[in-house]
Amino acid sequence: MLEHLAAIAADGILLGLIYAIAGLGLSLVLGIMGIVNVAHSAFIMLGSFFAFELFERLGIDPIISFFLALPVFFVLGTVVYRMLLTRLERVAQAQGLVAMFGLMVLIENLGTIVWTTDTRVITASYTNSSVVVGGLFIAKVKLIAGILALALTAIFWAFLRFTLVGRAIRAMSQNRDAAMSAGIDVRRLSTMMFGLGIACAGAAGVALAMIFPFSPNTQVQWLAWAFLVVILGGLGNVANTLVAGLIVGLLQTLCAAFLPFDYVYLVLYVLLAAVLVLRREGLTLAVRRAI
Amino acid sequence: MNMSRTTSTLRIQEIVAGYTPGHPVLRGVNLVAKPGHITVVLGPNGAGKSTLLRSIAGFLRPSSGSIVLGETEISALPPHRHIERGIALLPQGRSTFPELTVTENIELGGWTMRSDRKRLRRAVEAMFERYSHLRELRNKPTGALSGGQQRAVEIARLIVSDPTVLLIDEPSVGLSPIVASQVYRELQALKAEGRAILLVDQDVRAAINVADYVYVLNSGRNDIEGDSSAFHGDLGAMVRRWLGV
Repeated sequence: MLEHLAAIAADGILLGLIYAIAGLGLSLVLGIMGIVNVAHSAFIMLGSFFAFELFERLGIDPIISFFLALPVFFVLGTVVYRMLLTRLERVAQAQGLVAMFGLMVLIENLGTIVWTTDTRVITASYTNSSVVVGGLFIAKVKLIAGILALALTAIFWAFLRFTLVGRAIRAMSQNRDAAMSAGIDVRRLSTMMFGLGIACAGAAGVALAMIFPFSPNTQVQWLAWAFLVVILGGLGNVANTLVAGLIVGLLQTLCAAFLPFDYVYLVLYVLLAAVLVLRREGLTLAVRRAI
Repeated sequence: MNMSRTTSTLRIQEIVAGYTPGHPVLRGVNLVAKPGHITVVLGPNGAGKSTLLRSIAGFLRPSSGSIVLGETEISALPPHRHIERGIALLPQGRSTFPELTVTENIELGGWTMRSDRKRLRRAVEAMFERYSHLRELRNKPTGALSGGQQRAVEIARLIVSDPTVLLIDEPSVGLSPIVASQVYRELQALKAEGRAILLVDQDVRAAINVADYVYVLNSGRNDIEGDSSAFHGDLGAMVRRWLGV
């Protein structure tokens, strides 16, 4: 029994690491820039198909695609920011939300045109194998995706904490006017931050595609997961997002092990509602400026 | 700190600026801030004092008029480009980055030096020499400091890049009288280094005590002006006139 629980926990932790990067970009863009990017999951979906196409057409392993997705989706994010977000700077937040919703619908529909609604999977050489770690059998693909996700989270954390640009981004989120007075080009940094958020979404899409089946419509489910992580973890805080991802991953695997599958979503969404009712700021008091 | 810095005079000519089109807050303000002088702007609430500083700092683009530093027109520059020209703003209220440490706050004041990390580190160390009481606090988040300590961090961040024109908005708000008097002493030290200081203040007496020249704004226009000595008389009468009593 104990071994079974340990296996469930390991599975949940690895899944949680991936959920953490799915929520990380959303959390940072919302926390630092105040943009409710509901199109975030559409970029996650594009990340999955990016890995799928590279794997199917060129035989490129998803591990390599994970790293390739970072620069590709960073550029995509900066283009979207320059073309769309800069036009929304002076509109009400609700209008911005509608615009991002429109972008999400556009990407999903373009995805459906290109890839249809068929469900796809990526079957790499290690997809169906497992490794023994501390006496536990762990799916190799989950271990790899989890390690990649943890590495990306650590890189984001270190970037924001230890580099001057990262500190400037944190400063911008804490006092925008003072940051501008200090000579920081907040528009340029906002573009970079949005690009990083989308890069994170793209990489998360690759990691999710390594484990789960996906189609263009799957993105709505991932949006709910990403928001669940963000609401649990509070805004713009890398460490809290990681903890929230782990909680969601663990809850999912525990529920899946002991309850009928349909109850998994019920439990998670009741938890989401409870957090929103009991503690608006998420599990921490880290609201916007605290990163 | 470079004691023989080259400074330029800041000239504001007939600027009109506001937050809503057709409803200007500043309605043709003229002003000159000279190097090595503290130029004080006074006036009742709503006179446009802070709006004037925000316009000069690039946060608010004037609809007409000019802002000239030396020979260069700067009214169209975005806020982040002003520091490159040697103009630094200390905004009203708290302006630290509370989650960042004292060192990180000061370091970001030298953002324009980021390509030369050694120079930036030297400049930050120079600030710890100047404000030695901050040295032991260097790794603390500024949000955990007292109001006076935070103001010292703000001033260190303001001058770490060695700007020649300082725009200071209400520097004593929220500070104890002792700390406020230290802030005014520091403004005089910065003036002695040859910087042009444009000070907006509600504390009329304290501001006039450090001023070389005083402008009074009323309803977005120049009202009266003169050497500070001319204002040392009946300050009460001036304030009563603002209040309309």
